[in-house]
Amino acid sequence: MSESLSAIPSGVRYYFGSEAHLRRAIEHVAMSIFKAWSYEEITPPTVDYYSLFERGMGSVKAQDAFRFTDTDGKLLALRPDVTSGIARAAATLMSKRERPLRFAYAAPVFRLRAESHAEWRRESTQIGCELIGRNGCAADMEVLAIAVEILSSLGLDGSYTITINDLEVFNGIVGSLGLDALAQEELRELVDTHNAGDLERFLASYASTEECASFAQLVQLSGRSEVFENARGVITNERSVAALDRLEALWTVVDSLGLSANFEVDLGDASRLNYYTGLVFKIYVAGVGMRVGSGGRYDRLTANFGKAESAVGFVLDLDALAEAMRANESTSRLSEEPAPVVSLLIDEDPTALFREALRKREQGDKVLISPKREVMP
Amino acid sequence: MTDLTIAIAKGRLQAEALALLARAGLRLADEAHLSRRLAIEDESERYRFIFIKPADVPVYVEHGIADCGIVGRDVLLESEADLLQPLTLEIGRCHIVVAAPNNNLNDGFGMLRVATKYPRIAAKHFGERGQPVEIIELSGSVELAPVLALADCIVDLVETGATLRENGLQIVEVIAESSARFVVNRASHQLKAKFVSNLLEAVKAGMEETVVRPPSPFSRGPG
Repeated sequence: MSESLSAIPSGVRYYFGSEAHLRRAIEHVAMSIFKAWSYEEITPPTVDYYSLFERGMGSVKAQDAFRFTDTDGKLLALRPDVTSGIARAAATLMSKRERPLRFAYAAPVFRLRAESHAEWRRESTQIGCELIGRNGCAADMEVLAIAVEILSSLGLDGSYTITINDLEVFNGIVGSLGLDALAQEELRELVDTHNAGDLERFLASYASTEECASFAQLVQLSGRSEVFENARGVITNERSVAALDRLEALWTVVDSLGLSANFEVDLGDASRLNYYTGLVFKIYVAGVGMRVGSGGRYDRLTANFGKAESAVGFVLDLDALAEAMRANESTSRLSEEPAPVVSLLIDEDPTALFREALRKREQGDKVLISPKREVMP
Repeated sequence: MTDLTIAIAKGRLQAEALALLARAGLRLADEAHLSRRLAIEDESERYRFIFIKPADVPVYVEHGIADCGIVGRDVLLESEADLLQPLTLEIGRCHIVVAAPNNNLNDGFGMLRVATKYPRIAAKHFGERGQPVEIIELSGSVELAPVLALADCIVDLVETGATLRENGLQIVEVIAESSARFVVNRASHQLKAKFVSNLLEAVKAGMEETVVRPPSPFSRGPG
């Protein structure tokens, strides 16, 4: 065995110094804001049954989990996601509690494979919240407002964009075309990559040329209120129209609150569906090449655990937030306040030394036990 | 500070891509054209071009180091990168094919040895039909592999078919058509929405000017 002692597995890392401080401070800011919106902190188990995540995330996504077996042979996993654990608790442990439930968390998740090529981490910390047992525009707006407050408190005002979409727009189109599962997935991918050219060819066997061209245009529609008008010119099926109505109602609230400069409607956002059912949103911050957070409505998830109810939530990636703050030079607002340091010498009598140290600590001083008298900054 | 960084795949596509961008109004000074610098700005100084190997274009764009890029569909299929592909460009048309010394590859059900620069595309293609294969990953001159009996067949990109013919290979099957794609980073698409959509419009307008397509030796393949 000559394995290098310095090597660590790929996708994990150390955090220390100012970076560790920044991460802790961001977590603190976010958790205080959640608390101020009456969200209760929750931490699900780090190790849980693999079947939990299969139910929660779907069997494909769950395969990304680190897996191992329990003493009785049952398959365990390091949690690859926090929402699954919360959904189970809501449907079982807390099924009798008064609704809505409001939960917030800051917890690491682990994935065997990174989520995208641009993401190398296999351990990342998710900061997020869930609002369970409430439906409609007010619930959607509540979590969006919290996300906005967190981004704003981190000094990212004017640098972030939140895109919103309702997956039922896409589902309505799929329904009206009568596609099988395979074709559905192909369509979803073409929509999600805004691939208008191939989308038009794909649709040619299902719809008239004119309709194809308009659908293809639709995926490229991202923008503000004008998107709704354009979309209504193209989409006529009942399900999609109802979704557009909901989305427009939400947009109107966002706009009335004076937040629309930071928001966009992106009808082409049809990322792999996981558990999301209606509203989906993605958070981007200037200077970060990947998305910083995402969220949406997952009205069918808790049904997998025996109690169907509406739910909405979002998650922010702690490392991405830290990167966003560095890119936007807003880290200083969370940097450590320089406190006076009292240096104590160890070559004194230990009892006297620590009596002095405890006294200084009680006064709130920062103490350094040192073999020599140091000059403090 | 430039508005957008555009990654261009060096080699096969480069000249056509630059010609298209020139029609879209993004011109490089001739001097810049000739220099060996890997990053240069266009005349308006609004766009920065970087010239990188085709396989690296999805990497730069997915990380958001480049906001957008021009690269072949073959490279995108192989990379499986998560990018937006809003425009299919009418340049760099070619085919991803299975080619072999003779036409009857499938007379046996044994192991097929496949030499390729596209291991993912090859594995997916043969995997879908349940054909067991040994993928031999090469980085160039793939046509040589069946000639010297390193492999039974190859999966490669074919433009005119001349190299295949010269090495006694024929096309057994067309896996996919390929042409250049205009790709955009997901975050840039939202955060630099105005710049990106202006550029997309300009490139679309550039495409509408007459484009001479090289004659293709194939009938339209599936996919």
